Amino acid sequence: MTTIKAQMPGVFYRRPAPEKPAYVDDGDKISEGQTIALIEVMKTFNEVKAGESGTVAEFLVEDGDEVDVGQDIVRLGEV
Amino acid sequence: MTEKIQLPPARYEYGGDEFVFVELDQAMSLEANFAGMAVTNALREEAIDGVVDICPSNASYMVQVDPDRLDPRELVEELRRLESTVGTLPDDYVLKTRVVDVPVLFNDPWTHETLMRFRDRHQDPDATDLEYAARINGFDSVQGVIDAMTSAPWIVTMLGFVPGLPFCYQLVPRDRQIQVPKYVRPRTDTPERTFGFGGAFAVVYPVRGAGGYQMFGMAPAPVFDLSQSLPDFADDISFPNANDVLRYRAIDMAEFEATRAEVENGTFRYRIREVEFEPAGLLADPDAVNRELLEVLYR
Amino acid sequence: MSELLVRAGGLYTTVQDTGRFGYYHMGMPPSGAMDVYSAVVANMLVGNPDGAGVLEGTYVGPTLEFTDDRVVAVTGADVPVTVNDEPVEPWTAIRVGSGDVLSFAMIRAGCRAYVAVSGGIDVPVYLGSRSTYTLTGIGGHQGRKLVDDETLPLGSGDGSARPGAVVPEELRPELAGPAELRTVIGLCSYRLTEDALASFLGTDWKVTKDADRVGYRLRGGKLDFTDREQPFGAGSDPANVVDLGYPVGSIQVPGGDEPIVLLNDAVTGGGYATIGTVISVDRDRIAQTKTGDAVRFTSVDLDTALAARRDRRERIERVRREITR
Repeated sequence: MTTIKAQMPGVFYRRPAPEKPAYVDDGDKISEGQTIALIEVMKTFNEVKAGESGTVAEFLVEDGDEVDVGQDIVRLGEV
Repeated sequence: MTEKIQLPPARYEYGGDEFVFVELDQAMSLEANFAGMAVTNALREEAIDGVVDICPSNASYMVQVDPDRLDPRELVEELRRLESTVGTLPDDYVLKTRVVDVPVLFNDPWTHETLMRFRDRHQDPDATDLEYAARINGFDSVQGVIDAMTSAPWIVTMLGFVPGLPFCYQLVPRDRQIQVPKYVRPRTDTPERTFGFGGAFAVVYPVRGAGGYQMFGMAPAPVFDLSQSLPDFADDISFPNANDVLRYRAIDMAEFEATRAEVENGTFRYRIREVEFEPAGLLADPDAVNRELLEVLYR
Repeated sequence: MSELLVRAGGLYTTVQDTGRFGYYHMGMPPSGAMDVYSAVVANMLVGNPDGAGVLEGTYVGPTLEFTDDRVVAVTGADVPVTVNDEPVEPWTAIRVGSGDVLSFAMIRAGCRAYVAVSGGIDVPVYLGSRSTYTLTGIGGHQGRKLVDDETLPLGSGDGSARPGAVVPEELRPELAGPAELRTVIGLCSYRLTEDALASFLGTDWKVTKDADRVGYRLRGGKLDFTDREQPFGAGSDPANVVDLGYPVGSIQVPGGDEPIVLLNDAVTGGGYATIGTVISVDRDRIAQTKTGDAVRFTSVDLDTALAARRDRRERIERVRREITR
């Protein structure tokens, strides 16, 4: 299973701001380097970028959840 | 004359292995501040190896030690000894310090603009911060509270919150202290050099930033200068020191602009006079000693 | 060229040394490496004076390219390190040359990694220290964290580095949790009820997302203050006291529910009751706990705090003997 992992601990957000749409949704195609979520830690919001291209099969954490470093946050499917 | 406040026994506490914290009283008073000042000044003169920093505060003080060179317990013994000698403020104890003229433009346009933006965080959204302070302190007018703040000088009791920010307590008895609460919710913005007020303390904000103190005016001269370009900052990035006596003087816009120009071209200097006074004398007759302090300043 | 190329700054990488002292009284905290032991040992490995400038990376480390022959060492958090994509050992003096690129993978344990380079990170000394204090924007590299694609000045090494020198496992810090933080209870701990103090010491606290160099905010319990009429000048909230000095490592509980441990870049004073101080040695330990980790406080006396400090010094001297053998 290919996943995108959290590079840092913090609070996970799927959208750039509460009133904005999610960066990506299940089923979306994503390309390497694309921002797919934010992690808030140390009073800053840090972009989570895709390490490789693929399709978002499933988000494994909910918006607003706490994540740990190394935790799988997105499962990727075939392009 | 108001009765002298009796201090409880000082409490000596270890702030881990690197700090000694000494609480002179849980309540703020000139008596507590003077006692701490006397001990910290005496300790500074002793220049004990292993004392890293001496941090006077309002009704307490703190000493930072290098425990590899000085056992904190030995330091406490010495502090107790100093407390029993100078910390009781014997009548002939003399404080050497300096008295400084600090101009302030009250009701200035910049803090006014800022306070209007944050009315929703204030106790009294329909009044300005000065109007609110005048009302809750029983003054008929804004001018009344400005007169009270500018008639008697203040003593710098502590620097902190942000580097270089002086907390100042007025040299008047407790029943004449002006008091205002902090904002209900802190502001996200305060202009640099804002003359602020919270609790019984007046401050000048060294830099722009968040803040919760009421905003009454603006000082044209800096209290903090990282570039150390003005002559008064040649030795230190922060101008005020604990124990400094500051006289906040109300100025008009013309003087504000003239002083700003001096700051901009690097020629500004604070009006500073060396001064000695007896804390015991001040506590006994504050008005007389304050008159002398101002007399020395403007001589 | 005596410089280090910063290809990627990482999440929050700053230049630090052992701290800036003598300015606490004016409101300036010491800054400096959060995990002093790891920073000093990193310097030792590359033949630098203990207090030379190092890089402190947080969570996501920097990517660095060398422009001349150097010795480099990485200590602190447990994180895979590579040179030119080949794994290298942490806590080890490694020889590198022009064009070599040092990078970090994802942290396995701990929080902060230290990079020492022979000659030291030679940013200007400001008020006696190379440490960065980002809140006021002073010291370090332009008073801020590193960004991508910039250069850092390096000093010249004295040739005393011993490539291949290794810090033995038993002299590396324990990173497994929960972190035990030995604490001298006191200061204004009288503000808490007895039950609250017991609960403070009995709780496994969780590090919140806001934990940084300023302080660690924790969650996991509720602490009650004793009832009292607030003294003159203290403010109306039960957590308030007349503004006073905060020791580095001191703990306050502003709302009664989220204790904050003040650290190297914290405010030096304020109006919240402090209830104790984490001993200096265990600031190294909290520096290696990350958001989501658990910490607990154990009450110790000053003797224990001083003994722990002597013990750390002895450990540092043992490392020195090991790597210069």
